[in-house]
Amino acid sequence: MNAKRYLRLLGVQLKASGLLALQYRADFLAEGLTSLAWTFTALAPLFVVFGARPSIEGWTFHESLLVVGWFTLLQGVLEGAISPSLTGMVEHIRKGTLDFVLLKPADAQFLVSTQRFLPWRAVNVLSGVALFVYAFVSLGRWPSLPGVFASLVLLGTSMLILYSLWILVVSAAFFVVKVDNLTYLFTSIFDAARWPSSVFRGSLAWVFTFIIPLALMTTFPALALLGRLPWTWLVGAVVGAVAFAAVARWVWLMSIRHYTSASS
Amino acid sequence: MISVRGLRKHYQVHKRPPGLKAALRSLVHRDYTAVKAVDGISFDIQPGERVGFLGPNGAGKTTTLKVLAGLLHPSEGEVTVDGHVPRFREEAFLKKIMLVMGQKQQLLWDLPPSETFELNRAIYDVPRLQYKQTLDELVSLLELEELIGKPTRQLSLGERMKCELAAALIHRPRVLFLDEPTIGLDVSMQVTMRAFIKAYNEQTGATLILTSHYMDDVAALCPRVIVIDKGQLSYDGSLDALVQRVRPEKRVVLRLGQPVDAALLTPLGKVVSHEPGSAVLQVQQDAVNATVGRALSTLPVTDLTVENAPLEEVMSELFQEGKARRAEAAREEVPA
Repeated sequence: MNAKRYLRLLGVQLKASGLLALQYRADFLAEGLTSLAWTFTALAPLFVVFGARPSIEGWTFHESLLVVGWFTLLQGVLEGAISPSLTGMVEHIRKGTLDFVLLKPADAQFLVSTQRFLPWRAVNVLSGVALFVYAFVSLGRWPSLPGVFASLVLLGTSMLILYSLWILVVSAAFFVVKVDNLTYLFTSIFDAARWPSSVFRGSLAWVFTFIIPLALMTTFPALALLGRLPWTWLVGAVVGAVAFAAVARWVWLMSIRHYTSASS
Repeated sequence: MISVRGLRKHYQVHKRPPGLKAALRSLVHRDYTAVKAVDGISFDIQPGERVGFLGPNGAGKTTTLKVLAGLLHPSEGEVTVDGHVPRFREEAFLKKIMLVMGQKQQLLWDLPPSETFELNRAIYDVPRLQYKQTLDELVSLLELEELIGKPTRQLSLGERMKCELAAALIHRPRVLFLDEPTIGLDVSMQVTMRAFIKAYNEQTGATLILTSHYMDDVAALCPRVIVIDKGQLSYDGSLDALVQRVRPEKRVVLRLGQPVDAALLTPLGKVVSHEPGSAVLQVQQDAVNATVGRALSTLPVTDLTVENAPLEEVMSELFQEGKARRAEAAREEVPA
């Protein structure tokens, strides 16, 4: 794979999305405001739960805010950079225009993954950062430099996992006929990531750590900021994320092989 | 350039009788039947040829095109396009080909076509200078100046199709697959498209395979046709020879100065149509001269032309033949 060429391609795709975003200026305000509203609704369950007790499974209210902060930030990444392409991909399969993607002399996974970005949704990323600041001000201390560094590494792994989950969902679209609901499935799974992973018990805890690594996505970076994440976990997260991405890539390639276009 | 040997493409299709009970049953147990979309086809195409694929709906034309473009894996048989095996979808192969589908579009819906062109330039690694040249040419030949700056969704079907074609040619493919490129277009737009496609083939020497339901497309563009019927090849050769084989009779079209009695026409040949100001007769090829002579001497003829039977009729007769042959074969298979 020629990295320079693909970087250039990414640039062209980003430019097209940017143009599109500028074309629909009204969307900017509407989407920005909705994102903000959702950030606050995301906090509501937290108030309810912590209204009754001071801490849950070793997490205080303000520490949990960090998890919600990561959740909100990743939601921005998801809605701005990952979901739009998912919707586009489902559309491609439904209309049979995926053929055009497969005809292009570039990696099909790259092309469908970069086809559409919604820059306005990046508002959520800022809301996430705002939550971090508020949480740490309330906690009365600041994260250490290694803690920030580790959390940035984990941001990378979280995005990789989120993206790989997305690829797995999209791959399912090749096998099931009705694919409209896949986006909902994906968002509902992701929704569980707003809680610190230790609140899940038994089989759920196992599923959310190993099958759908939500713990890795939001709880680990929050722990890193708090300086409570052991280095071994960090290494584990990186190795796990890379392995997860490799599995997703493999499933994707299998699905493409299975694909026979909508009309013969 | 293109070589196809014993190509077969069979699909497993899940079949279900109507009704709720059958629907519930199909949840646990499914019956699959094999659909033979393409069932043993062989042909060769030389570089620069323009070939038309003809056949009724569901004959296997599009399936064959998609196998050639590497979108479908053949169930059996060998296919090569310019030395490549399409199903491997190598970059070098994909840069040489393009498939245009009249019913599907690759243009970005909410952005002007120029953005799709730019995207394709990047994907196909077309050098800037060559891109500019190609685009200028396409813009002037297809008269796109006014269109490429407007969002695609504001363009009419015909305008969009012209831009589709331009988007497909940015990388100057050496093999062009056209799947019903003129579908839904008005007559003048069809003529424009045909002229352009022909010019592209003549200028670049690109190989061209076309499927279309409009016989005029095929007649105007393709010296050679391949007829596919129920997944099998039923004719491969020149269009003229096909017409000769299926409908050797000629048509004598008469314009008449005044109405004539039907009784005057019947001795001349088979009357295909008869109206007050005109008549069309069908006669054997060797009888054309005699018929023309007699018509001129016995009827008030103001104009006379001799034509082949319309392609549509030729094709429908060919497909009827195929159907009858298959029915015959099926009867023979059933033991008495």
